[in-house]
Amino acid sequence: MSQISLRTITKSFGETPVLNNVSLDIEEGEFVTLVGPSGCGKSTFLRILAGLEAADAGQVEIQGRDVTAIRPADRNLAMVFQSYALYPHLSVAQNIMTPLRMRDLNRLGRLPVIGPLLSRAAHRKMRDQVGEVAETLQITPLLDRKPGQLSGGQRQRVALGRAMVRQPVAFLMDEPLSNLDAALRVHMRAELSELHRRLQATFVYVTHDQAEALTMSDRMAVMMHGDILQVGPPNDIYRNPASLDVARFIGSPRINTLPGEVNGTGGLELLGVTTETRVRGLRQAVTMGVRPEHLHMRVTGRFSGTVRHRENLGSDIFVHLEVAGAPAKVVLRLAPAEAVELGLGTRVAFDFNPTDILLFDATGARLAFTHPAREVA
Amino acid sequence: MPQSRVYLWFIGPALLLMCVILLIPILIAGGLSLTDYSLGNTGASFVGLENYERIFTRSTYEKMFGATFRYVFVVVPLTVGLGLGAALLIDSLGRFGDLYKTIYFLPVMAALIAMAIVWEFAFHPTIGIVNATLERGCGTVLERWDWYAQGCERTFPLWLNDRDYAIWTVSFIGVWQGFGFNMVLYLAGLTSIPPSLYDAAEMDGAKSGWDRFRLVTWPLLGPTTVFVVTISFIRSFQVFDMVEAFYPQGGGPSKSVYVMMFAIYEKGIQQNLMGIGAAITVVFLAFVMILTLIQRWLVERRTHYV
Repeated sequence: MSQISLRTITKSFGETPVLNNVSLDIEEGEFVTLVGPSGCGKSTFLRILAGLEAADAGQVEIQGRDVTAIRPADRNLAMVFQSYALYPHLSVAQNIMTPLRMRDLNRLGRLPVIGPLLSRAAHRKMRDQVGEVAETLQITPLLDRKPGQLSGGQRQRVALGRAMVRQPVAFLMDEPLSNLDAALRVHMRAELSELHRRLQATFVYVTHDQAEALTMSDRMAVMMHGDILQVGPPNDIYRNPASLDVARFIGSPRINTLPGEVNGTGGLELLGVTTETRVRGLRQAVTMGVRPEHLHMRVTGRFSGTVRHRENLGSDIFVHLEVAGAPAKVVLRLAPAEAVELGLGTRVAFDFNPTDILLFDATGARLAFTHPAREVA
Repeated sequence: MPQSRVYLWFIGPALLLMCVILLIPILIAGGLSLTDYSLGNTGASFVGLENYERIFTRSTYEKMFGATFRYVFVVVPLTVGLGLGAALLIDSLGRFGDLYKTIYFLPVMAALIAMAIVWEFAFHPTIGIVNATLERGCGTVLERWDWYAQGCERTFPLWLNDRDYAIWTVSFIGVWQGFGFNMVLYLAGLTSIPPSLYDAAEMDGAKSGWDRFRLVTWPLLGPTTVFVVTISFIRSFQVFDMVEAFYPQGGGPSKSVYVMMFAIYEKGIQQNLMGIGAAITVVFLAFVMILTLIQRWLVERRTHYV
């Protein structure tokens, strides 16, 4: 039995549907990412799991217990917010201690001055716990500061500390890295993964950044227009997307798509070239997708285009080609050595390995295809 | 090389205006407070601190301080408390919030002098609605309350014209008139609290409304509260028009409502005793100054979060 399961969650804000019958199971200790463009309902889904938002229909179960009607404070989850939501009037230590104070102390023990005197042991234990968490996150020197005196990355750690200080069933994170600058974001990505390995806790992470989803998660759920389109390990989703929407959303730069056609004999025709690829089925219009790293510059290539733009990333160079008959530019990933000669306006021939392509029908669903064993590689 | 003096042109106008319309009048008032000047006299003689000595020794001025502080220490806590309470209630409403907001804010917008006349009718001992309503309660269980029984036996208080009740009645009207203003300030403060903090409080286990108030609302309203309390103090020290409307002569029964502003007006304008009027003004200024300094200190020490 999974640790957290959400079943047929439906939610709409007024007339606008936000989630349509969405279900998801999360196993213990998993790092699950909900990824999708803004407005796809991923944050609402997380808030429904947390209990901060009520679903119109559906059920939330945590550790086998139906918590749909239970308030957030009683669900034993911890959340890290996009804005960090630190209490600005409390010091870092007090911020981290707040969940402990609220849960472990009665009203008398929470009183200022007398509280610590009445329940001295409890307060000492709480201070030790805060100290431990601060040690883990390396924020011990900051404990006496106020959130207003911290940088974005430091606030991020404090927010994590506040979530970590007790042992919740799961950590919910709502775009926690989106307010950081690019370098820090990449750094925190590694740190969050490290933290997940160390804590062995369940993480449910919401992001619009497919790179965060790909780098950190054990499993990711791609959401769009209020539906989960595909759930699976990042590698599966990248290599084997279930639909054109998923293929387009995951991967940067975006997957190249070319219009094609399946002719009467089941052969795939692309930009006037009949390929060896065989599709079972009727004559129909299809879309072929191929990722930039699967396109190779080759003198004998069957396709060609003109260089219109170069993006130099140091380790890789992305070359944008204008190809006759293709609605959008085709992007190739090249090693810097290969691309030295390619000025703007250069004519380039390219090709791909037939096993590297993805085919989608007119509705965007994946099409199966076969190809003869011997192919011009 | 001579230093450029162009900066004088930038700060000059503001500096000049500040001196002419603020600093110099205060200095003149300070100077006048040391003389026995009357408007129209060609000269005045220097009397030293005699005016101040009077303010702190004569019984009239003792009454003045009594009335002022009674008014201030009733009106400030009540307007702040009621303002906060009304703001929290309205904030928790979905639909009729704007309606309540308008209703509570009406007394603030109304001219106090006109309202004073209405209240004067309401508190009239014989034809006023207050005492008429109280008389209806005679003969009921309310008579078990001694004060009420006495009222039925003889008459109910004269409210505005009884020296034991006058200052409290005036304070009541001050509260009625003033809390809507604080409510609006608190409402503005409440809208600036990020909703994610309440979400965080809920996740952290703050279950009751009181917990949320203690953890989030009250601390985050800190800057608003400092401002509201200061402005309420200053407004209460300044109360004048109501007293002038109720008691054009002499500041109420046995001078029990002889507040500072009215004293300044009576001495300086009505009796043309500029010296003593200026001295009360200086004392008044000192109070406001102390309040402002306390506010600055609080803002910098406690409630400055960012």
